[in-house]
Amino acid sequence: MFLTEKKDINEVIDTLGKYKKIGIIGCASCASICLTGGSAQVKEMEKHLSGMGKEITFTISIDEPCDARVLKEDMRFVEDELKDTEAVLVLSCGTGVQTIGDFTKKKTVAGVNSRFIAQTEHIGEYHALCQGCDECRLNVSGGVCTITLCPKGLLNGPCEGHDGIKCEVNEDSTCVFMTSYANMSRFSEEENIGRILSPRDYSINMLPKK
Amino acid sequence: MKIIPCIETPVSGNYKDFIKELASLCEVVSKLNGNDQHPSIIIEQNFGINSIIISKELMEAGNKNKINVIYAFNMRDKNRIAIFSDLVTLNQLGLRNIIISEGLHPVKTSFYSAKPVYDIDSVALSSAIKLKTEKEANFQLDRLAFKDFNLGVMVGASTPVDLVKIKKLVLLGVDSFIINSFLDNVGAIKYIKSRNRECLINVKETGIKSLDEGKDKAVEYGADGLIVKIMNEKTNIFNRF
Repeated sequence: MFLTEKKDINEVIDTLGKYKKIGIIGCASCASICLTGGSAQVKEMEKHLSGMGKEITFTISIDEPCDARVLKEDMRFVEDELKDTEAVLVLSCGTGVQTIGDFTKKKTVAGVNSRFIAQTEHIGEYHALCQGCDECRLNVSGGVCTITLCPKGLLNGPCEGHDGIKCEVNEDSTCVFMTSYANMSRFSEEENIGRILSPRDYSINMLPKK
Repeated sequence: MKIIPCIETPVSGNYKDFIKELASLCEVVSKLNGNDQHPSIIIEQNFGINSIIISKELMEAGNKNKINVIYAFNMRDKNRIAIFSDLVTLNQLGLRNIIISEGLHPVKTSFYSAKPVYDIDSVALSSAIKLKTEKEANFQLDRLAFKDFNLGVMVGASTPVDLVKIKKLVLLGVDSFIINSFLDNVGAIKYIKSRNRECLINVKETGIKSLDEGKDKAVEYGADGLIVKIMNEKTNIFNRF
């Protein structure tokens, strides 16, 4: 799941400032799970903007607005309303916003902030475990990603600043290398414990990613 | 047992005055360690005046007295290109004693919103410096450009995984280990000494009541020396010696 959080409503209002006829698109997938872009949030936004004198031309929740194929299919339901729309407010991650902007060719406004790929513990409690970075090292790092879970993204062991098992930066958290070592020990992965990993090859993941 | 002061370069003031102060500090250190020893001093790169320049000037200023200048830098502020450039420069200047650390995360500094780099970690950099092999595909520079570095690495020693890291560094040929506190729960010092490597303990000046106390404790731990980080150049603990 890709975690999003609500933007400051004043920023949204400012960006929509000169546009009167607004369409609102929500995401029924990730943004719905984290309560930033589901149908309830779309309705809430509709009410808010209507109250400010904006004309809402349509509202729709799309299963996966980041999927251009799904978007194209679902947008047929609001085809006519879109023609009469000046700006589209999107309650989804940045990928959804840009996919919609590319498809509609209308002024597209992001209604949420994009955060990270998240594990959902409970609604409202999310953890980043993976950055989708490059060559996955989980098989040699005890099944935990030190690039994501170490604030310094180190590969070959803890920094000199940790306090016992606690992380130097996130003092309430256990240093990920403690978990990594414990997991590797549990599965007797001596070879991985002593393994020296090469620095990351950033050319693998050069932007823009394809 | 030797005591080595460690100081960051200042953000303001005339750097030539700073060099003079460092030269005076080295005289104090020389007396402290016994006049037969050449005083060592660690110049740490943080966000003050460029430490390579200060190290070079200090080495030249103390030429007759043979000050052993050690340049310390971290993995936080520069990517591998900039670090290699510094290593090539250090080598050309004859500054071959270096200490590396991962470095305090920017959120713990006054530059809390700065982008942390950590492009390469201290183990991988040690590998590049010491092994001088083409194994690391990312390092295509001429390894001969930095073949003679006396390399120290700052490490923790409070958990078994610290010892794992130390063992990796020993394997790579690291010359000195700097344990970042009076905390050795895993026999790190004993292990490092058994591998005939130098082992120093690093403390902030505010972490010890006196140099004697620090020295006694370092002796008790079996370390080869004590690095004392000066937190305030004007009121530093060495002035009270």
